[in-house]
Amino acid sequence: MTPSDIRITAEPIDNGRCKFLVSEPVHAGGVRRFASRDEAQGSPLAEAIFAIPGADVAEIIVSGNLVTVVKQSAAPWPVVGKAVGQAIRSTLAGDRPAVAAKPAPAAGSPTADDALYERVADLFDQQVNPMVARHGGRVELIDVQDAVVMVRMAGGCQGCGMADVTLRQGIEAMLHQHVPEVRGVVDITDHTAGSNPYFAAAKK
Amino acid sequence: MPRPPPDPRRLLLLLPTATYRTTAFVEAARRLGVDLTVASELPSTLQAANPAGLVTLDLSRPAVAAEQARAFAHAHPLAGVVGVDDDTAVVAAAIAGALGLRGNAVSAAEAARDKHEQRTLLAAALVPVPRFGLHHVEEDPRELAGRVPYPCVVKPLRLSASRGVIRADTPAQFLAAFERLRRILAAPDVAACGEPARHILVEDFVPGSEHALEGLLVDGELRVLAVFDKPDPLEGPYFEETIYVTPSRLPEEAERAVARCAERAARALGLAQGPIHAELRHNQRGAWLIELAARPIGGRCSAALRFTAGEGGRATREEWSLEEIIIQHALGTPVPPLARAERATGVMMIPVPRAGVLRQIRGIEAAWAVPLVDAVEITAHTGETLVPWPEGSRYPGFIFARGPTPDAVEQALRAAHLRLQFVFDPAD
Repeated sequence: MTPSDIRITAEPIDNGRCKFLVSEPVHAGGVRRFASRDEAQGSPLAEAIFAIPGADVAEIIVSGNLVTVVKQSAAPWPVVGKAVGQAIRSTLAGDRPAVAAKPAPAAGSPTADDALYERVADLFDQQVNPMVARHGGRVELIDVQDAVVMVRMAGGCQGCGMADVTLRQGIEAMLHQHVPEVRGVVDITDHTAGSNPYFAAAKK
Repeated sequence: MPRPPPDPRRLLLLLPTATYRTTAFVEAARRLGVDLTVASELPSTLQAANPAGLVTLDLSRPAVAAEQARAFAHAHPLAGVVGVDDDTAVVAAAIAGALGLRGNAVSAAEAARDKHEQRTLLAAALVPVPRFGLHHVEEDPRELAGRVPYPCVVKPLRLSASRGVIRADTPAQFLAAFERLRRILAAPDVAACGEPARHILVEDFVPGSEHALEGLLVDGELRVLAVFDKPDPLEGPYFEETIYVTPSRLPEEAERAVARCAERAARALGLAQGPIHAELRHNQRGAWLIELAARPIGGRCSAALRFTAGEGGRATREEWSLEEIIIQHALGTPVPPLARAERATGVMMIPVPRAGVLRQIRGIEAAWAVPLVDAVEITAHTGETLVPWPEGSRYPGFIFARGPTPDAVEQALRAAHLRLQFVFDPAD
């Protein structure tokens, strides 16, 4: 595989966040979230993205074929995004894995994230998913890292015009109430691939 | 101006389930730290889990929705209300009136929504508008064809995104256009709006360049946020929009005339607060108001606009979205002097190439790689049936660009569009 074989589609969410859908798997070992340059050490892709000049990258989330980048600078996505694309291509073509495996917790000592994962998973199983199932939707808990919950929306939720309402006004509010230690929720869904959204948008 | 601290006041955001505006408004409220309640016409599946943040209102009946909002506000006091489209602008006005919040009079929002009422008020106030006539769908089009002026345009009263708008240059074309619009108005989703779907507006076709104005009314004063050029000639027979580019390349005096025309129109309709989106034409006789809506620009187009708040904003490079400005205003927060962020920006509403079931859009990455292109957002999903204008009103996606000049932005948008390839179901 050469860098030119890799196709990348950018999906900016707003001026601060952009998802990059990559034609090749970037990280097959679940989700990894990097919230600082220090955390990126050992993962060439994350190191390269944090090093993009003028981007002021704050967070990177990698899962499967999806790379989500959060930046704090006002630099437009064409500039930053093209540098992100370059980083993805060059690190995927490199000898080392673009993203290192998540460090395993010490044996016999579950981390705070592990404990949170169990509680969030229970909330999703008991409350969230039975509710969204009424619209043919499903919300998958992908991981909890540094008390940030990563979810993927599927079925009627994927590509739904109201997915952001479900996420922010529903799921996030429920987490705030039932698992207040959670610091945030990140949606890593590729909404452009949704083929049966419950609500589809029209222009005005 | 530094970004304000989190705002604990509660905003009621009226989001119809078919809107494109969800993410832009929800994320704007989050950035401002505003307590948010989202109201839709259908219940969220999670409403019971967050009764302060999700509510169902009868958005088809503004007075009923206002009473529902009043009951809701007993438990969760509201500091502001925002509608995002033509219909919810009327509902927002009704709620604002019932709860004493900042907003427009219901009559003004209704006048902006109804194309005939709007034309009537504007003509009475001597705002330049096309000559127009209102006709019932059951009238004999053959008789009408003999007496309407040509070229003319037939329009529905309520539909947006130029759905159902058709130009006719001859009696034969008029007959075909009238029949076609009659069929569109009979579609179940359109007929549901009742009496307005039983009428057709016939008006002069106004030649000239077309422009859109985005503005914010603050206590009756218009603040112009952006004037867009629409460089693709909108000559008909259908009026699917494509490219918007700002700043406008109109001469200064012509741009001022466009702004004056929009401000006079807003005043004539009685609008005093909140966003307006006006569509105008400009020719040798000056600016003509084609339509004015009491809402922000539609679709995902607002993403093309970023603003700085006065000199302080420029110094810190702090940028505001259109939705953040609208929310701040609705909550009664003084809006500082605003300047559009430097550089030219533009958006292309990607045209529907033909009718059919969409299987794939190729070339997205290549389109995005075009210099100056910010983003290519595909909103159509695989398996969706694409419907061209005039029956359709849903764009398959949007392309955004920004650059040093409007010309450069326009060229980038066109170049990116050329790289997209639509793949349809072979059975179509």
